[in-house]
Amino acid sequence: MTSPSAPATSVSRHSSPPVLTPERPLAWPKRTTKTLANGLEVVLAESRTFPKISAQLYFRSGNAGVAYSAPGLAEMTATVVRTGTRSRSSRQIEEDLRRMGASLGTSAGADASAISVSGLAEFSSPLLELLADLARNASFPEGEFERERRQRYEELKVDRTTPSFLANERLRRVLFGAHPYAVVAPTEEQVAAFRREQLVEFYRDHYVPVGSLLLVVGDFSTDFMFDQVQKVFASWGGPKPEQPTSPAPPRQSGRRVHLVRMPGTVQAHVLVGNVAITRRDPDWYRLTLANSIYGGAFHSRLVLNIREQKGYTYSPGSSVHALSQQGYFTVRAAVRNDVVGATLAEIFYEMDRMRALRVTPGELESARQYLTGVFSLGVATQNGLLGQLSVVYLDVLSEDYLETYRERINALTADDVVTAARHHFDSANAQIVVVGDPVQIGDQAALFGPVTQYDSRGAVSVN
Amino acid sequence: MSPRKLQIPVEHATFANGLRVVASPDRSAPFVTVGVYYQIGFRLEPRGRSGFAHLFEHMMFQGSENAGKMEHIRLVNSSGGLLNGTTNYDITNYFESVPSNALERVLWLEADRMRALKVDEENLRNQRDVVKEEVRVNVLNQPYGGFPWLDLPPVAFRNWPNAHNFYGDFADLDAATLADVQQFFRTYYAPNNAVLLMLGDLEPAEALAFARRYFEDIPRQPSPPRADVSEPPQTDERRGEVAEKLGPLPALAIGYTMPERETSDWYAAAILDRVLHGGRAGRVYRKLVLDEQMAVDVDGNADLLETNGPTQMVTRIFHKPEFTSEGTVAVFDEVIEELQHRGTAHDELEDVKVKFRSDYYSMLEGGMGSYMPRFGLMHYLACFTLFDGDPQRINTILDGFLSVTPDRIQSVAKKYLVPGNRAVLLRRPVNRGGAS
Repeated sequence: MTSPSAPATSVSRHSSPPVLTPERPLAWPKRTTKTLANGLEVVLAESRTFPKISAQLYFRSGNAGVAYSAPGLAEMTATVVRTGTRSRSSRQIEEDLRRMGASLGTSAGADASAISVSGLAEFSSPLLELLADLARNASFPEGEFERERRQRYEELKVDRTTPSFLANERLRRVLFGAHPYAVVAPTEEQVAAFRREQLVEFYRDHYVPVGSLLLVVGDFSTDFMFDQVQKVFASWGGPKPEQPTSPAPPRQSGRRVHLVRMPGTVQAHVLVGNVAITRRDPDWYRLTLANSIYGGAFHSRLVLNIREQKGYTYSPGSSVHALSQQGYFTVRAAVRNDVVGATLAEIFYEMDRMRALRVTPGELESARQYLTGVFSLGVATQNGLLGQLSVVYLDVLSEDYLETYRERINALTADDVVTAARHHFDSANAQIVVVGDPVQIGDQAALFGPVTQYDSRGAVSVN
Repeated sequence: MSPRKLQIPVEHATFANGLRVVASPDRSAPFVTVGVYYQIGFRLEPRGRSGFAHLFEHMMFQGSENAGKMEHIRLVNSSGGLLNGTTNYDITNYFESVPSNALERVLWLEADRMRALKVDEENLRNQRDVVKEEVRVNVLNQPYGGFPWLDLPPVAFRNWPNAHNFYGDFADLDAATLADVQQFFRTYYAPNNAVLLMLGDLEPAEALAFARRYFEDIPRQPSPPRADVSEPPQTDERRGEVAEKLGPLPALAIGYTMPERETSDWYAAAILDRVLHGGRAGRVYRKLVLDEQMAVDVDGNADLLETNGPTQMVTRIFHKPEFTSEGTVAVFDEVIEELQHRGTAHDELEDVKVKFRSDYYSMLEGGMGSYMPRFGLMHYLACFTLFDGDPQRINTILDGFLSVTPDRIQSVAKKYLVPGNRAVLLRRPVNRGGAS
């Protein structure tokens, strides 16, 4: 205790963070875009660090187009597509994939259906052939259809016990009303009622080359890959599908609370939202920036407030969702039961603060750096690159979207952020969904608007 | 086309304070991924302090000597990057992906919190609350939450380090004190118990110089005590049952304890796992989902590369309610018996190896939903350094897996896939209808 203290060794290099050195410029890979004679748009980009390729084939028809005739039909169709073609059984498809070191995904969202493959570059030709086979010759074997339908039925029962699923399903209903984006999943009864012929018909009408999009990235030379694509897709044909028109979502007046009952749960799932904009809207960049300052990043205001200061929740956040016809803004937090009211108060306080006051220059600069940096991380992996390319080409954004994103974000000001918040963080009319125990959270939620209660199947419940 | 063999450049140094440093340049995009891995995981946390290793991981984001609360997060996000940390069986990691001009800044941050954690009671209270909500959102309020990673170890193992609640009992979390936090930090968060990894858009010599500048004078600590994680020999099958409060389907987990790391059985077991669990072509999925149609979903894996102690190959089965769990296990057993009696076909094994190689590359490239480039490369380099003392294994380990023979697969199946080496856990639904 009496020995002399060591000389101060904590030199200045340790006491403050090093400044950033100049950035090395980012180069997005060149895209080669060609439209085949049959109308298939092909986008190729080389990404050669790892000896793999990834391809995604998108059809611009999804569950929205069937939301009021056969909800979930696009998804069911995609699920069964992988279970057989005219020349390959389900088992053959899975074994062929494994032989090529490949993975396959088939899925459908609201706006599009997709077949995705990735595998070793040494098998790129047979892998493309398999992709084309699934796109052109799916056979929908009766037994496989029945099996997949039953699996989907059981999965839906699990979904209806999952708080985040129930919250999202209810919010979409409330925000989109008669618009088909209101429907995120079929009921079990609707799944049980699917017939194989419906899938065959959806596939025939919508899995066609015209208007569809094939993205391929990976370890190949563009000329070689384009020849391969031409070889397996050029002879494909089919008429252009009709695109149904959709009614507008309802205008909300006033906040309302929608409580999905899960009696006895130890936590409440809070989801707040309002209709916003698509990526093609000129406000998209400013809204993205405002969202990132509000709750879209770890260092955002909402996370700092309700997680790091108050400890209400583990995973709070806000998001902007861009579907093709409409977009929406959401704020989420899974919180302990006794702080549902306090959480909602902070969610709206932070929204109103964004609407009323300019963000600080420091916050603005941090958010710009964050958005442009994380956006660019996509260049470093094949999947990341595919994700960014699908945004550009599915949403039909300008060809230089990737290259100009940084300068567009960096041009935004604190006034832009306030403007975006005033237009798109609609705190006065936002809809509040809470999933949890009505006895423990009902009174707290009622402080924020008139409450309607639902059961997990969506029926309005009176008590 | 012929296969291209991937060669990852790896440079490796050990500083005087015991810190191991690995650099791997890849100039294809202007990003770096940086990780610090400490050789402490939930297996090694103090007895009576379940969940402490994970709670502590949260505390590492609460402030250090020169970067206060939220500063780590703000400095990384505002450099254009992402960060996170995770707690695993045998390691806890902290990592960032940032534009490469922030390399030095990120090293400064990681060094600052390795040098001196600076947290208070308020931080601890706050993060204890956050962790409880994490447990609620991921386990208690989620259908099949914690299945089976929290349910199975207490059934499968007898030694507390392997068999306790890794997320932590709330009473244990409440009992954690600031003194525990500082003690844990001193014991385990020392340079000689860690590896620093720097990957991506960097010159190794320059990156190593930065690392020296910030890490080299962090004092070495006495080597942490080696916890005894060995398991007593098992002779009979172990069974357990847990109530599923939300989900409507019965769920089964079947775990077989795996061979020791780096033995020849271990290599064969990794391939055996893919024969059984390699997606829809895997034998278990094919039998239970496609052929017999008893199960709605099946998957499984053995995380052999990233563990360094008793570990299991685990099969997860969600079966239809009209089948019994016993009947489902019996059909699963047919798959195992067939493999033991007939082994694998030559083509099947070759195909599994192709897929293994492909998956290995995917893991190196992204590995965590691909949102962090080279996450898997970082993760494996860390495990090879900390567990095997050799990061160069990243370039040679595949050879071991790809040279496994059909005979080895069959003999490992006979030796390890036996009732006396397994645990079966049933998650039984308390209601079939879901929420009211």
